[in-house]
Amino acid sequence: MSDAQPLPGPLTGLRILELADETGQFCGKLLGDLGADVVKIEPPGGEPCRHVGPFLDDIPDPERSLSFWHYNTSKRGVTLNLQTADGRRLFGHLAATSDVILETFPPGFLGSLRLNYEALREKNARLIMCALTPFGQTGPWRDYASSDLLHMAAGGEVASSGYDEADVPNAPPIAPGGGNAWHMGCHFAYMAIMAALVYRTVAGRGQYIDASIHEACALTTEAAVANYIYRGEVLRRQTGRHHAPGPTPRTQFRAKDGTYVCALVAGRLNPKYVRELADLLDSYGMAGDLKDPKYQEPAVIAANTSHIIDDLVANFIASLRAEEVYHSAQARGFTWGAVRTPEALIDDAHLHDRGFWKEVEHPELGRNFIYPGEAAIYNGSPWRISRRAPLIGEHNAEILCDELGLSRSELSILAENRVI
Amino acid sequence: MFRPRALENIRVVDFSWVRAGPWATRWLGAFGAEIIKIEWPENERGRLPSTTTPQNLEVNLNTSGNFNDTNVNKKSLSLNVRSAKGLEIVKRLIAISDIVLENFSSRVLQKWGLSYRELCKIKPDIVYVSMSGYGHTGRHHHYTTFGPVAQAVSGLTYLSGLPDKPPAGWGWSYMDDTGGMYGAMCALTGLYHRNTTGRGQHIDLSQMVSSVPLNGPALMDFTVNGRGSRRAGYPPGNRTHWPGTPLVNNYRGPTVAPHNAYRTHPGEYNDWCVIVCHSDEEWQRLAQVMGAPSWTTSPKFATVIGRLQHQEELDEHIEAWSMTVGKYELTERCQAAGVRALPVQSAEDRVEHDPQLRHREMYLPMEHPALGLHKVQNAPFKLSGTPASNHLPSPLIGQHTREIVEGLLGYTHEELRAGFADGTFWPTKRARFPYMEEMLR
Repeated sequence: MSDAQPLPGPLTGLRILELADETGQFCGKLLGDLGADVVKIEPPGGEPCRHVGPFLDDIPDPERSLSFWHYNTSKRGVTLNLQTADGRRLFGHLAATSDVILETFPPGFLGSLRLNYEALREKNARLIMCALTPFGQTGPWRDYASSDLLHMAAGGEVASSGYDEADVPNAPPIAPGGGNAWHMGCHFAYMAIMAALVYRTVAGRGQYIDASIHEACALTTEAAVANYIYRGEVLRRQTGRHHAPGPTPRTQFRAKDGTYVCALVAGRLNPKYVRELADLLDSYGMAGDLKDPKYQEPAVIAANTSHIIDDLVANFIASLRAEEVYHSAQARGFTWGAVRTPEALIDDAHLHDRGFWKEVEHPELGRNFIYPGEAAIYNGSPWRISRRAPLIGEHNAEILCDELGLSRSELSILAENRVI
Repeated sequence: MFRPRALENIRVVDFSWVRAGPWATRWLGAFGAEIIKIEWPENERGRLPSTTTPQNLEVNLNTSGNFNDTNVNKKSLSLNVRSAKGLEIVKRLIAISDIVLENFSSRVLQKWGLSYRELCKIKPDIVYVSMSGYGHTGRHHHYTTFGPVAQAVSGLTYLSGLPDKPPAGWGWSYMDDTGGMYGAMCALTGLYHRNTTGRGQHIDLSQMVSSVPLNGPALMDFTVNGRGSRRAGYPPGNRTHWPGTPLVNNYRGPTVAPHNAYRTHPGEYNDWCVIVCHSDEEWQRLAQVMGAPSWTTSPKFATVIGRLQHQEELDEHIEAWSMTVGKYELTERCQAAGVRALPVQSAEDRVEHDPQLRHREMYLPMEHPALGLHKVQNAPFKLSGTPASNHLPSPLIGQHTREIVEGLLGYTHEELRAGFADGTFWPTKRARFPYMEEMLR
């Protein structure tokens, strides 16, 4: 941080109360890293998703979950037991001075504590409340239990992903990993919250948002729904490439180093593309017969698509490291990429140019760690990780005493009574 | 009942095409912003080629079903921005707009004379969102992506598949959908910032880079613990752990079993369900739902470590049962007992059979002048004060040219006709659609 006076983030000045489990914590991170003051309210003892690994040095501990660390940057943390009268009172005080409440409780839970939107709005007409839940606040599946895998299945992601029979006979459909059902829900929830915030700058009023993870996932399979609605087609799964109504040529090729390259060739084979492809392959002496003028005839290209893709392109990629194919092809304008492991990105020069990797201090450990950075560079109001994830109740005194005015002895009593 | 819209009076100049950019502005439109899509038929890749035109219609610029769903809530101005006159017109439009959004390669708008610096001269507080493959900053800014390439390079593809097999990846352009999300998120964030500070800005979004943080826990396992994802048993398919390999978290949540996809009756292509037990109690409930067969009482399945160790056998037993039940019935029986289970759903399943999506009115029919009446996807959130809505079908190409050029920008009808004659609003050698003839009368 060399800036003497760093610009504030675009959401500076907003206070968000986050009461979120693994389904919604990413939304709080999105808001916090862009400058909002996100106060994470956890039950005494901490959120259960602090128990999700991997853990620092593989030592399980609620303060050492790397998953929790990643999804809870730029937040402050307080503990509050909403099942107690004191907890509800303090929450009411916080809600009265906050801009947004993000909550992921089962539908009806906050209402049963008289902390529903209607009640909270009485003291804060500008309040925006977003309930992000697996299925929304209404409907026959409202109270169903879920998980990332379940959402990927019902949302359609699983039905679209898997293997060609030739690659893995009898393979199951595959749910892509990484917890992306939660990401899908959180992206849409962020969008809805921001729309409500923009509207509030004009109208001065808050509102209630009922967001559904299932619906977010159901919206996130590109053209699959359109294929069905307009053509009645149900798509088939294919290895490492798009679902399709019938088989399409492969786009994933094994490189010399045993990793893969995604090379989008099929569907683009016109004479110009073939000329450029021949030049690329020829620069490694691998053009085969592709420089033959006959390949400037679209009909000849069409008749030899399999030869071009399955022989020439496949052999070319098999002769080189994936990274070399990737950069050589991109330098010549081909939309190809190496199928990388996440860790391979640490050395990516382009990411370094963008200042992507962030060093985050963990003062309690006396160590700094590298975190992934921003999707987008805001040139007038930068994204930043303002602090590592909060420790359990780390900001109880700061928020409940310094900001809400409790005395230190009251704080002690609340701790003894398991309110915080 | 009258409901105000969240983005009432916000105007977006939308240069975007194909999927990611249009998916971004679709949502700004759903919130009530006026989306003016700048199009040119000679290089329109969102409309053509089309693989989603109904079988009974001719494939043309106005009959792509996927284009329709991706571009509801927008207006279309056909305009040759690569001509001096076209550029002048678009500058007049930008001067009365709030947001400029595009998803071209990194230097395209700059080459047209519409760099952020130039945009600021036209509209000082403009919010400019560029959505390019690698961003406008960084040495590979000129690299290009489609969703699958962004997914490959960022590590997302690698996280999907069975161990010791090629990556299964994502069977669609997840990062066109998600890149679109980020485009809308950036635009709304920039707009909020403008409304509260009076200042616009350039938001330099990269499709590839925006994928990277989605691998957060996997990345942190490497940067903190030094453990990479290239290891035995990873990725573990639909499981949290692959039997016989080191017990390491797989970044999807807690490590538990059962956690898999299972075939269901009658065994057709998409007859699968997923079942997950997060605790011994949930496992005991599943055993009850299955009728408490004797194998479920075996001590080796009583603990989570045991179930993980004997996962092959466990999954075989569960699938022997699941194949006797339909996926929706299985879901109801499991969920009624407090067991996590849902069907694997195709698009047809979601549109036709999913009772929850039906209840939430996820797919409501809408009339389109060329395509007719078809269901359109709705928003996954309900805002009490300013609900998102689909209020316009996708525009026919150039459908709103007259409305925008004459009505909004104040050009005369004669100037509109002249612009059609000189190739500013439509290529002179290309046949016009009947509605264009109509607007020229």
